[in-house]
Amino acid sequence: MIPDGLRYTAEHEWVAPGAPTVKVGITHFAQDSLGDIVYVQLPEPGTTVLVGQSLGEVESTKSVSEIYAPVGGTVVASNGRLGEEPELVNTDPYGAGWLVEIEPDASTNLDELLDANGYRQLTEQ
Amino acid sequence: MSSQEAAHTADTAQESLLESPLRERHVALGAKFAAFGGWNMPLEYAGGGVLKEHAAVREAVGVFDVSHLGKVSVAGPGAAEFLNGCLSNDLGRITPGQAQYTLCCDDRTGGVVDDLIAYLRGPDEVFLIPNAANTAEVVRRLVAAAPAEIKITDRHRDFAVLAVQGPGSAAVLDGLGLPSAHGYMSFETAALAGTELTVCRTGYTGEHGYELVVPWDRAVAVWDALLSAGQPHGIRAAGLAARDTLRTEMGYPLHGQDLSLSITPSQARAGWAVGWKKPAFWGRDVLLAERAAGPARVLHGLLALDRGIPRPHMAVLRGDERVGEVTSGTFSPTRRVGIALALLDSSAGLTEGDEVELDVRGRRSRCQVVKPPFVTPSVR
Repeated sequence: MIPDGLRYTAEHEWVAPGAPTVKVGITHFAQDSLGDIVYVQLPEPGTTVLVGQSLGEVESTKSVSEIYAPVGGTVVASNGRLGEEPELVNTDPYGAGWLVEIEPDASTNLDELLDANGYRQLTEQ
Repeated sequence: MSSQEAAHTADTAQESLLESPLRERHVALGAKFAAFGGWNMPLEYAGGGVLKEHAAVREAVGVFDVSHLGKVSVAGPGAAEFLNGCLSNDLGRITPGQAQYTLCCDDRTGGVVDDLIAYLRGPDEVFLIPNAANTAEVVRRLVAAAPAEIKITDRHRDFAVLAVQGPGSAAVLDGLGLPSAHGYMSFETAALAGTELTVCRTGYTGEHGYELVVPWDRAVAVWDALLSAGQPHGIRAAGLAARDTLRTEMGYPLHGQDLSLSITPSQARAGWAVGWKKPAFWGRDVLLAERAAGPARVLHGLLALDRGIPRPHMAVLRGDERVGEVTSGTFSPTRRVGIALALLDSSAGLTEGDEVELDVRGRRSRCQVVKPPFVTPSVR
């Protein structure tokens, strides 16, 4: 449940490398520990974010979790389907349940994020 | 990502938590566990989750392990009369074989020590089901008040409690030859494969249902029998997370949130569970005075008008004025909208239909003041 081609943060976000934009979501591990997700709040396209800044919130019936920007840059798209189908984050966290697309700023270096092995070690601790 | 509900998971790491006799069954079903009143209990199950488990109870049938609930026996000559002078509700309103929702209040402040169900077996025997976290305190207060001939026995780990809830619950019990036709809030003693158990027509979900009080060492056999008999009826093991969304949709208070030592029955709109005409019960004087003066704050329902999800302790606002606080809040799986119970200041003069706002982590969310339940109950 940890795809090889992605980059990860210790806060359980994933980044799909790409140019000029990267896709961002939360991991299988994250959605599993949250339980049934009932509401996702995401930034409007055009919003600029710094690394580690809040991107939005994911709410389950019981809890609220903040999502942090794994890279800095400009949000160019957010996943509109999640408005009516927040459960996609549970059922397909790496696919249809993606959260936002970010155009990273020039200083971004994805190699500073965890790779699949690094993230696997983190979640198995 | 960081979660604001980390307390549950942190608690589970503590070694001091008590375990249900069904722990192995929950593990086998892939349960996630959480601490409830000092007990390590299933929150939700693999392949289920709050939404599916909630729906199973509303539409078919679910079985909950609520063995963490307290069990206390009060026995001896005049046991019922003794209790009637302590607990708030009037046991004179029911007859042996019936159960009653009642409150244990603090005599000085009138605050609620616990809310519990009293099962009247006869004038000399009453069985109590308090909340897990409050059982020891209820027992302590009763023991301190009881005359020598009345014995208060904490039987917390002598019995498991299994709740079978939902429109299919009667059919599940029928399939096992257990009584199912008795009226709401009554109970019968029955046998299942040689095990004597009590079948109560009670619950915390708003659905037709039963709570089975089973000897601790027979809990696994009864659990297995229920799941197997329930299969044709779509039974699902349901965790305490679903129990919480189900009870919130009904507006049922949860002690520690909507009821507490600092919240009185009148404030929680639980005055119906007080025998106001009784000559004595704990907290009588202060509660009668509060009732006459009118409580300073009252529990109301809030229904979100936008996508906000109310959470406990959020401030309720009217403009810039703080007019109350959310005590319970969640996403209603049935209505697919945020719902809450909130204590609103009486001085604000709010009534049903009025609009208020919640401070949702710095954002404003609009809510309407409503009268619970949020979903029509079908307990009978």
